[in-house]
Amino acid sequence: MTALREETSVPVADHRRGDRPRRKRQRPNWGAGLAALAWLVFVGVPIYLMIKDSFQPKDAYLDGGPLSLPRKLTLDNFAEVFRSGYTRYLINTAVVTVASVALTVLLAFPAAYAIVRSRSRIVSGTFRIFLAGLAVPAQATIIPVYLMISRMHLYDSLTAIILPTVAFGLPLSVLVLSSALRDVPRELYEAMTIDGGGSFRLMWSLALPLSRASLTTISVYSALNAWNGFLFPLILTQSPEQRVQTLGLWNFQNQFGANVPGLMAAVLLSAIPVFVVYLFARRWLIAGLAGAGGK
Amino acid sequence: MTAVAGARRGRRRSAASAGADRAARPGAVWILPAVLFFGVFAGVPLLLTAVLSFTDWNGLGTPNFNGVANWRHALTDSAIWESMRISLVFMVLCWVVQTPLALLIGVWAAGRELNRAVLSSIFFLPLLMSTAAIAITWRVLLDPNFGLAATVGPWIGFPDGNIAGDQHGALGAVVVVIAWQFVPFHSLMYQSATRQIPKMLYDAALIDGAGRFQQFWHITLPQLRNTIITSSVLMLVGSLTYFETILIVTNGGPGTATMVLPQRMYNSAFQSFQMGYASVIALVLAALGTALSLVIVRFSGYGKMRSTLEGI
Amino acid sequence: MGDSPLSRRTFLSAAGAAGIAGLTAPLLSACGTSGPSGGGGGGKKTLQAWVLQDDGQNPIQQASLDDFNKSSSTKIKLVEIPNSGSSGYTDKLRIGMGSPNPPDLLFNWGTGSIQDYAASGRLVDLTSQLNSDPTWKSAWIPSVLDAGKAADGKYYGIPMRGMQPVLLFYNKTLFAQHGQKPPATYDDLLKLVTYFDSQKIQPFALGHVDAWPNLMWLEYLVERLGGPSVFADILAGKPNAWSNPIVLDALHRIQDLVDRRAFGTNFASVNYVNDGAGLLFAKGKAAMHLMGTWEYSNQVDKHPDFAKNDLAFAPFPTITGGKGDPNNVVGNPTNYYSISRKSKDVNAAISFLKKEMSSQMYIDKLIKAGDVPAATGLEARLAASPGPEFAKYVYQMVQKAPSFTLSWDQALPSRFTDPLHNNLQKVFLKKMTPEKFTQVLGQVK
Repeated sequence: MTALREETSVPVADHRRGDRPRRKRQRPNWGAGLAALAWLVFVGVPIYLMIKDSFQPKDAYLDGGPLSLPRKLTLDNFAEVFRSGYTRYLINTAVVTVASVALTVLLAFPAAYAIVRSRSRIVSGTFRIFLAGLAVPAQATIIPVYLMISRMHLYDSLTAIILPTVAFGLPLSVLVLSSALRDVPRELYEAMTIDGGGSFRLMWSLALPLSRASLTTISVYSALNAWNGFLFPLILTQSPEQRVQTLGLWNFQNQFGANVPGLMAAVLLSAIPVFVVYLFARRWLIAGLAGAGGK
Repeated sequence: MTAVAGARRGRRRSAASAGADRAARPGAVWILPAVLFFGVFAGVPLLLTAVLSFTDWNGLGTPNFNGVANWRHALTDSAIWESMRISLVFMVLCWVVQTPLALLIGVWAAGRELNRAVLSSIFFLPLLMSTAAIAITWRVLLDPNFGLAATVGPWIGFPDGNIAGDQHGALGAVVVVIAWQFVPFHSLMYQSATRQIPKMLYDAALIDGAGRFQQFWHITLPQLRNTIITSSVLMLVGSLTYFETILIVTNGGPGTATMVLPQRMYNSAFQSFQMGYASVIALVLAALGTALSLVIVRFSGYGKMRSTLEGI
Repeated sequence: MGDSPLSRRTFLSAAGAAGIAGLTAPLLSACGTSGPSGGGGGGKKTLQAWVLQDDGQNPIQQASLDDFNKSSSTKIKLVEIPNSGSSGYTDKLRIGMGSPNPPDLLFNWGTGSIQDYAASGRLVDLTSQLNSDPTWKSAWIPSVLDAGKAADGKYYGIPMRGMQPVLLFYNKTLFAQHGQKPPATYDDLLKLVTYFDSQKIQPFALGHVDAWPNLMWLEYLVERLGGPSVFADILAGKPNAWSNPIVLDALHRIQDLVDRRAFGTNFASVNYVNDGAGLLFAKGKAAMHLMGTWEYSNQVDKHPDFAKNDLAFAPFPTITGGKGDPNNVVGNPTNYYSISRKSKDVNAAISFLKKEMSSQMYIDKLIKAGDVPAATGLEARLAASPGPEFAKYVYQMVQKAPSFTLSWDQALPSRFTDPLHNNLQKVFLKKMTPEKFTQVLGQVK
């Protein structure tokens, strides 16, 4: 629903600027402030420990206890993670993520466009398939998916991860996009048709630019799905050459054993690419996330 | 959900002015690639899962039909019922813990004060980490001898830090990890929804002399109704399928205290290699997920919109 | 139950219901076919050797492949696969073996672990190769080579690692400080438990979370109480084999040990795979550790000072009145390489095993890493081990053992793994009675 609201919220944003002075008239909310601080501790302590441990030598971690202040700092843990081939895993994950987003948009947008604009019965019938697909958990199909991927000779390839990941993201993407497309006024289509536009041109130069916000939403949503993917890579890939970052981390957990600083360095490194994207495209990412929740 | 809301609107509009429309209409071909793709990689597998549930197959060679043997076994297998119970308890706990927290944090973070903006940017940090990264971090924290659990355990009733090794502690720990990961996401939804509540509603309430609590109770909460439903669907259906968090943090243990359905299915399929039996569990899982979202949609009044869709 | 083979046609009609039959046709077409496939024509081939990920072992395996690749046109590549809790090497192996391009060489535990693959004709029968080459066959300790046979009595595996009986490891420095000796009898063991517990030292480290370490206790207690026939009956699927009073007695003793805090109080949160238990032991927080011989090379690798100065070992104590021979051992005889029949170059894989597995270089590297290879005539060469005393001890222990019981979870068919692991965990946690355990396991079919 947020996807829809985003586009209709322009006037809301306008009068928001008037918020500030009025809000200030209320007393500060001390109770909420204290609760927020408690939540800050809950969220912050694990993050602090993760960052601290990743810069600590192994022995300092074992002897110091979890809450001690760091005494010695080192970058060795990061060097060790990179030596274990982590760059490769990040590149693989990036490939999977970019390909998944591209494929999702490529498939979902024409479908959503057809759902909104077409009068075909087939289209309305298939739309219901997507609705039903919303609640199917990917886990439930993992055995046949594995069977199919291996019979298609795609086992242990990045393609094997991308295909089902995209398929299970499609229903939500189609729904979000079609809801946004419905808000494109019919008159615009008619106006453009008078100018001599066919269906493709209507989609390309009218529908596409007008649904940018929802495209953001589904891009962020499918990117996060691909980035987080665990079960599909676990079952459908094998070799280190095809390993994605989530499995890489899991692998480190086994390989590093009690070398917690090394493990935490790997965890920290896995968050950095998202963090960089976040810094450069904060508003975009947050809007997308909020939209993804709104389906 | 938006689709649904939007669908109704679109329907009305097109119904009102049907016939007066001269713009080009795309044919069914446009939807074909997406449908084929979804059908092949999600639809067919689901059908095959159903077929496999009537077979005996160890993952090698050819599956043999064995009738309803797997289903009959599932009915009497206490392990499945135990997992179902654990999954349901887990689901309810996840919802009860996360919803109030996410709601309060979201509404609080919707305020435009500087301190709220700064704190909420920290609150949203877990969003940057993958599920695997979060689960691995917490597993380290939960180590009873060298992790945070050794320090914090005694404060919360686990003098030996044995949180993840305790029947209830383990389930609680997983719920906490899930909350840590997902409350930021749901808060974000509530935050953006709260910011869209028309300001004049609060202005009117202020004139009536409504306090902060009354404003929250009589304006914010009813206005967030749709967000609460959406967020709940995501939480409930999601908690049926969280698999890697449990796999990494407790591996279903201690014993089978956190052996939720997805992990039971995984173990049946890829450890005991009883693919047919695992398919039964998979179908139960799919049915539970679908039933759950249908029930919520009905009870929340979304069902009407769903039926509106059928005329599109 | 009248099982009818699920034909391709039936499957397709199911898929056809979705209207996409054409796309799923290739899906099952490869089902059930096995046997060597053509492979790439003429060009250089690369085979895959799948092994368990192990920082100490993998470089040695890599060295043997490097040596082989130097002089072979077919190259072999090492693929290291991690093992963790319930999801790891065996799952991956099954998925890989079910795929159209299975690993060419596969690390395994022999017997039960390869049973399904051997029975479905996926492995190369090495019997004739071994019989026609007596020098090769005699390079291996016969009992260990034989332990790798599948149920059909054929050889499918060549030993590729050290022997892995389970031993009672203890911290000799800690024992000396407290004036204690390793237990000779079970009563001694109970006294040590009481003593160390009173000294606030955990008597035994236990990686409970990973499930299989718990099994070692059951295996040894059953062996000492009733001898090898008890598990042989279970393996043979004899009726009521699980509810044998010996099994019940062993399970009751396990719960008694838990009550005595033999494993401390928080063992339920401790793993083995991620060095949880090994670390407790190395840091002197636990006095003893019942574990396979790989614990030795593990400690050499992760905590070298501890391995050098403090680590010692003893056999599992005898139980007064028990029927098992005190020389009997349980554990894993060794790990084996088997060859997949679908391999692109079966002959190259065989010549790799012939050339490298018993080579002086490979065996010496294993010895240097703390392993005790299953090769014959090593008495003198074991002096090169980082723990020569340990190596010789294990070498003799295996050779003089009248019986070597394979770890239950490796010996039994895979459908037992999950119930065995989960329910034994519950017995340790006292969430299940021994009687219920034997009843539940007896119902696995």
